[in-house]
Amino acid sequence: MTTILDPTSERTVAARPRLARPASLDGLRVGLFDIGKSKGDIFLDRLEQRLTERGLDVKRYAKPTNTRPAPTPLLQQVATEVDVVIEALSD
Amino acid sequence: MTQLPDTGWVAVVKRDCPTCELTEPVLAALASAGELTVYTQDDPAFPESVPHEYDGTLDVSHGLRIEIVPTLLRRENGREVARTYGWDKAEWRKLTGLATLGNDLPDLRPGCGAKNIEPGIIEDLLVRHGETGLASRKIELGSAEDEIEAMFDRGWSDGLPVVPPTEARVLRMLSGTSRDPKEVIGKVPPDLGDCTVEKVAINAVMAGCKPEYLPVVLAAVEAVLEEPFAMHGVLATTMYVGPVVIVNGPVRRHIGMNSKGNALGQGFRANNTIGRALQLVIRNVGGGRPQEVDRAALGNPGKLTYCIAEDEEGSCWESLAAERGVPEGKSAVTVFAGYGLQGIVDQKSRTPESLAQSFAECIKAVQHPKLYPGADVLLVVCPEHERTFRTAGWSKQRLYEEIYKRSQRPVDEVRPGTMGIAEGTSAFADGTMAPKIRDGGLMIVRAGGGAGMFSGIIAGWSASGEKGSAPVTRVIGS
Amino acid sequence: MADLESRGIPVVGIATTEFIQAMEVQARALGTDPAYVFVPHPIQDRTNAELHALADEYLDRMLKELVSVSAVAAE
Repeated sequence: MTTILDPTSERTVAARPRLARPASLDGLRVGLFDIGKSKGDIFLDRLEQRLTERGLDVKRYAKPTNTRPAPTPLLQQVATEVDVVIEALSD
Repeated sequence: MTQLPDTGWVAVVKRDCPTCELTEPVLAALASAGELTVYTQDDPAFPESVPHEYDGTLDVSHGLRIEIVPTLLRRENGREVARTYGWDKAEWRKLTGLATLGNDLPDLRPGCGAKNIEPGIIEDLLVRHGETGLASRKIELGSAEDEIEAMFDRGWSDGLPVVPPTEARVLRMLSGTSRDPKEVIGKVPPDLGDCTVEKVAINAVMAGCKPEYLPVVLAAVEAVLEEPFAMHGVLATTMYVGPVVIVNGPVRRHIGMNSKGNALGQGFRANNTIGRALQLVIRNVGGGRPQEVDRAALGNPGKLTYCIAEDEEGSCWESLAAERGVPEGKSAVTVFAGYGLQGIVDQKSRTPESLAQSFAECIKAVQHPKLYPGADVLLVVCPEHERTFRTAGWSKQRLYEEIYKRSQRPVDEVRPGTMGIAEGTSAFADGTMAPKIRDGGLMIVRAGGGAGMFSGIIAGWSASGEKGSAPVTRVIGS
Repeated sequence: MADLESRGIPVVGIATTEFIQAMEVQARALGTDPAYVFVPHPIQDRTNAELHALADEYLDRMLKELVSVSAVAAE
């Protein structure tokens, strides 16, 4: 384990900060990312329906297999096509 | 490893020390006379004729604060009561009460530096013993985290890999200055976070500096924090600028800065890491990040690092630092809010008048040919251009005066709308000559090497001088 | 999740309560602070109607994790 020293003025928490969030989802594209566990798609179907009803632009993605990390081309595609992502469903 | 004896003699030695080898028979005599524990720092076999322990981790030596070997000390009831180091026959005899100790040896031999205080070793010992004295928050990286990726992920990088600032590396960096790590050298905008010498050292490690660069980095940070430099504005402006560091004086040679070929470019550790360390301090201690408080529309590549050394040895003129009042023999940094590089290509001028006019014509285009005044200018004169002025006997002062004068334009030519361009100046009275550069807004340095009649303009910020940022010069301390 | 966030895309993960400990261990090892919404375990034996109800119930919590705290506070 490596110990390093904080290079900042230490006004913030030391943990890796979460990526900054947008102020609202208005006009943003939402990606629904299915990690491939069983029944996750049913759950995501409903989210898609509800988000679309709210006027949000929804796109669906699915990992080829839940046993391995998502392939980079898929992640690149997600990053270019949507603004935020809901990833489901881990158990 | 045996415990230190509560009562008895302790000697610390190393093979790589002739004085320790010299005292081997004395140690043998002491061992046979009574309780002696010998610790050897380097060679586990040494000294062959005396029973000994190998202090391979140097923890015993460090705990005893050994600085010189051989050291002989006396402990009684768990406390040290006497100590001597090196070989001093009279002292050893007095201490041990053995009147004939070392009969065959010379009276005096100085000892050697102990291994546990060697640079590169002492830092690890201080870390292991929790004695660094460093105040910064320690962050334990996750076991599965890649160190370099971890720095990126926490937002501490300028976009290139940084060196992880471990405690040992930061201690080694701090050995480059005599200043107290806790000393606060200022508040860094935009967050106005307290900047200590230690925080600068951490960021200097990350930038890839050697410890001997640290005084230069400290001076550069202190210079941009001086009020006339207006660091907050330089950071927050939508224009291109960032701090450009110009280094003068003997330190350039001491730390191997490049002032010759490719003087403004890549490939030279001191130049590139000093400029980068300054930017990392602004980013990490100050919280100044692009697309946040840093509102630059385009920025410029020099915002990664921009640090120049003047070629004083190759110049016929006084240095920038000398002009700005730095005493002979002192080193200094000058910081300038500037950006990029605009070339001055003139391969035909053979007279100083023609070349000065070229310089002035190029300077007229700074920011926009119709913006008067434009901005401060740092002019970097290459060797083959300087030769023309040298041969003609032009002083630096003469060149300054000629450029100020020759870069003026009739106001009527630069009014909004002239040349079919809406941009232009509404300042100055009709019929007068408009100055391109404010008084005192031109700085000339001589750098670069070899062939090539190519000088350069590093332009400043529109808000130059009192209304914005003015260059600041600061002497480099220890 | 960390990969997408490194590409500039905020992510909220949906997991069952069974996953809480594993998530915490992984986050510690990776030094991350992932945004998660936890729904009651188990999932596999639920009917589609039950899963839809679950999605409805937790939707607002998921969306809240995708916008800034100040925006939520201002509501």
